[in-house]
This record gives sequence, structure tokens and C-alpha cells, in this order.
Amino acid sequence: MTRYLLRRTAFGFLVVAIVFTTVFVLLNYFGDPAVTTLGPNASPEQILEFKERKGLNEPVAKQLLSYLGVIPCIRKDANAYHPDPEKRGYCGVLQGDFGESYLHHEPVADVIAWRLPRTVLLGVMALIVELFFGIGAGILAALRRGKTEDHLVMFGTYLGVSLPTYVTGPLALLVFCYLLGWFPVGGYGATPLEHIKHGIMPALVLGIAGTATYARVMRGEVIEAMRQDYIRTARAKGLPEHQVVFRHGVRNALLPAATMIGLSLPGLVSGAIITEKIFAWPGLGALTIEAIHSLDSPTVLAVTLLFAVMVQIGNLLADIGVALLDPRIRLES
Amino acid sequence: MDPRALRKLWRHRGAMVGAALVLFVLALGAFGPYLAPHPPAQQFRGELLVDGLPVGPFEVEGFPLGADPLGRDLLSRLLHGARLSLSIALLATFIATVIGVSVGLISGYAGGFVDGLAMRFVDLILSLPFLLIAIVIQKSLDGAGIFFISVLLGVLSWTGLARITRAKTLQARSLEYVEAARALGYGELRILLRHVLPNIVGPALAIGTLMVANMILAESALSFLGFGLAPPAASWGSMLSESQSLMEWQPTLTLFPALLISATVFGFNLLGEGLRDAFDARL
Repeated sequence: MTRYLLRRTAFGFLVVAIVFTTVFVLLNYFGDPAVTTLGPNASPEQILEFKERKGLNEPVAKQLLSYLGVIPCIRKDANAYHPDPEKRGYCGVLQGDFGESYLHHEPVADVIAWRLPRTVLLGVMALIVELFFGIGAGILAALRRGKTEDHLVMFGTYLGVSLPTYVTGPLALLVFCYLLGWFPVGGYGATPLEHIKHGIMPALVLGIAGTATYARVMRGEVIEAMRQDYIRTARAKGLPEHQVVFRHGVRNALLPAATMIGLSLPGLVSGAIITEKIFAWPGLGALTIEAIHSLDSPTVLAVTLLFAVMVQIGNLLADIGVALLDPRIRLES
Repeated sequence: MDPRALRKLWRHRGAMVGAALVLFVLALGAFGPYLAPHPPAQQFRGELLVDGLPVGPFEVEGFPLGADPLGRDLLSRLLHGARLSLSIALLATFIATVIGVSVGLISGYAGGFVDGLAMRFVDLILSLPFLLIAIVIQKSLDGAGIFFISVLLGVLSWTGLARITRAKTLQARSLEYVEAARALGYGELRILLRHVLPNIVGPALAIGTLMVANMILAESALSFLGFGLAPPAASWGSMLSESQSLMEWQPTLTLFPALLISATVFGFNLLGEGLRDAFDARL
């Protein structure tokens, strides 16, 4: 188990490194952040000055290492920079310095620190939606297997996975925010209560696909659990049906569903990119889109690093969860 | 192809509904542009924009679905969009299928080191944040053409097919007629193409059909976020994106592209799931 986890973690690091390097080379070697940032009217001198200041004239490998904080700083506007190479400090990820956003002219770390809690709030609300409705619908479908409720739930899950958030999002916005006026039209609000009120619609939309997945898995697991011998035993000793179902059936079926939480992280991350745009939610997803559009490479790189690490941790947690909850599964193979 | 699987497919109600939807959408893509009453990029500012806002369905004769935010005929754009969206999805699926089946065949048939390496590579691609990587590549390389976007999507999504092809190849490798072919002294390539590959066709068809649905989704997502085809090209995703600011005034602008995307994805998913059941292409 330990060996497996070590190998798995090493693979996770490799993936993060490859994702990061790819994005770095794409942005700084193939893309042209200076031109995009300064706009089409910038003079060649201005562009040259910008490149000099940000160290964009250096070879891309050197830029990468400086960004990581392995070699001394090459960004002239960083505090750690000194004209004398002897006295030059480091200004990279290892030192907690993610550079300065080209677009917002403030440290990327600050921009992200402001945005991250908002995305986490949205993600947590969406996860609650997924678990609540997904598990509920799954249990309902399993207990009423083959009946109308089951067919309805299964049809719903079909729709749920077929309808992307950029279809359901605008429709939900149209119906519930514009026509019915139940929820505010996008934005974030000023007080914690308002944040939650503004977040309900985006969280519901973001949670649709996950709800469908949980419902399907839960249905299968409950059907499987209700076939087991211990259910027959529970019935035989005269337990009331609701206790048989919930204490013995559903409880055992919940374990596999719980392990899926880690796996749903990537979906929530990429879903957030689109949902935040639709509902003008000021989170990391909206920031990512804006940053990539304007080739704000320090911001894109920091967000990429964050997303890649989060997804790897999610996968790892899912693997560990599966192994801990079901001793029959061996992770060695 | 296995006649039993075809019979099973024929009796699969969902798959048949899906097949009907798929045929309809394919016909739309094939003939739509010829049926379009106007050029998709032509602006009719005078007739179709009232106080800067586009007219709705059936308000102006000759423009049955009304106008888009720039005063272009919505019906014509939807019909041209059908061809664009489907072309990208089908081309991307074709590219992903060629890569996926080749990697899976070689990996499963060769085994050993090659197999291990290929499968780790598959794991790697699977753990990439798809949307993020796709939009970074699109933006950095500044590729906004049909071909570029198809290749981009294809190259990022062949992994599922590689896995299933590998599994089926491993099964086929131990079949008696493959052993017989080897005993007869046939070359490796001939065995691979004539005896192993036919086992893959059914499952690949199933996964490929599901993949078309995912490609439609991916292309629309890119366009929706502003990283798709360059304007004035009309893809369903970009139309959805353009309509966002006017949603309150003209909901049909959002409704029509949303409906088309959903119906297409739903159709390919239904047919794909039916094919997957029929050919037993589950992992």
C-alpha cells in the first residue's frame, strides 16, 4: 500500500510538472504576452522595454527555472532583482512569489488569494447539491426499480450528462433569474448571506452533471446491496423495512459513492470555468478565462499549477478512499 | 460484424431513437447550408435591428427565426453552424480514432515494455486538465481554423479508445484462429490487420459514436469561452456565447443553439450507449 501510494504520488508530481512545463512553453515561447498585454498600438520600444523588464528576452528554459525559483531572479521589477548578479535573490514559486499579473498590476498571489475562497464556496455548494440530489435520486430509483420513478430518474440522469453547463446555465439564468426573478442575475453580493443567495443558481447548474453521476452510481450500489445476505437476515429478524433499507442497505451503498468525491474535483474545476463566466461569479474560473484571453502568463501559470495539483490530490484521495473502504481491492497491480 | 450484435442494436429502443436524431443532425450538416436562405455572415442592419436590438422569430418576412445580435439571419447561421460543428466533431473523432486504435493495437499486441510505456502515457493524458490545456494551446498557437481545432481536440481525446482497443486486442491475441494464423506462419502485420483488427471494429464504433457527442461538447465549450473558430464563423457554441448579453430581450437567441447542441449530444450518446451494450465495449 505504502509503495503504491509513493509511486502514485510520484506520478502525480510528474503530471503536474509536465502540465506546467507545457503551459509555460506554450505561453512564453509560442505566445507573445508582451504584444497582447500592451495592445496593437504599442511601439516597438515599449514592447522591448516590457520584455526586458519581465525577463521575456531570456531563453525560455531560463525563464522557467527563474519562475520556479531554482536560479536567481531575471525579472527586473521583482524585489529580489539586483543589477549585480552576485547579489541577486530568487523570485520563484519555491519562494512563494508567483510574479505580478500583467493585467492587474498586482502580485498574482494576492489576486488568487482574493478569488480562491469564492471558487471554493461555489464548489462546496455544488458538491452539496450533487450529494443531496444525486444520492437521494439514486436511492429512490433503486428502491422503485423498474417503476415510473426509476424510469424518470434514469431519463433525468441521461439529460444531466448530455446537457452541458453552457446550455443549462443560460437557460437557468433566463428562467429563474430574468423571467421568475427568484434569484439575482449573476454577481456575488456584499454580505455572506448574499454570497450564498447569489451562489444557489450557479451551484445548481454546476452540480447537474455530478448529480446525474452520483444518482447512477448510487442506484447500482443500492440494488447490489439489497441483494446481499445481510439484508435477508435483517428482514428475517423482523426489522421494520425502513430500518432494513437505510441502516443496512443504503449505509453500505454510501461507501462507494463517498470515494467518488475525489474524482469529481476535475469536473468541478473545469465546470467552474464555464459556470463562473455565465453567472459573472468572481472566482478562479472567470480569472482563468480572462487571463488566457490576454495572455497574462503569470496568472495563467499560477492557476494552472493550482488546478493541476488539486486534480492530482483529488485522484489520490479517491484511490486511498477506495482502498480503505474496501479491503478486497489491492492497489499493488 | 457480428450479426447478433446488430440484432441486439436493432431491438435497443434508446439506440434507435438516438440513430434517428443522429440521422437528422447529419442531414442538417450535409444539406443545411444549401437550405439556408441567406449568407451566414451578411448583416441586415436596416431590416433586422430595431433600436439596436435584433428582431424575434416571425417578425420580419423571409427571416423565420429572427436575427442574431449583429443583424444576421439566425436560421442561416444555425444551418451553417450545423456543418461547422459536425465537421469539427467528426474530423476530431476520426483523428482520435486513428491514434487510439493504433496505440491500443500495438500496445496490446506487443505487450511488455511498449505496453507499459503506452499505458503510462495514456494515464498522463487522462490526468491533463482538458479544457485548460485546450484553450491555452488554442490561444498560444493562435489556431482558429477548423483543421487546427479538430486536431487539437483529437489529439487530446484518444485515450479511452486506446484502452478499450488494448483490452480487446489482449482478448483476441489468445483466440484460436489467431494462434492458427501464427502457426501458419503469417506475418505479424497481416495477423494484426486481418485477424485482430476486426474484433476492434464494433467497440471502436461504439466509443467513436460517444466521442462525437463529447467532441460537439468540447468544441462548443471552446467557442462559448471565446477560444473557438474566428468570427464571423458561426458555430453553435459561439452563437450561444454571443446571445448571452441579449438573453433578457431575445431568449430565442439562446434557446435555438442550446436546443440543437443538446439534441445532437443526446442523439449521439443514446446511439453510442446502444452500440456499447450491443458490442460489449465496456471497460
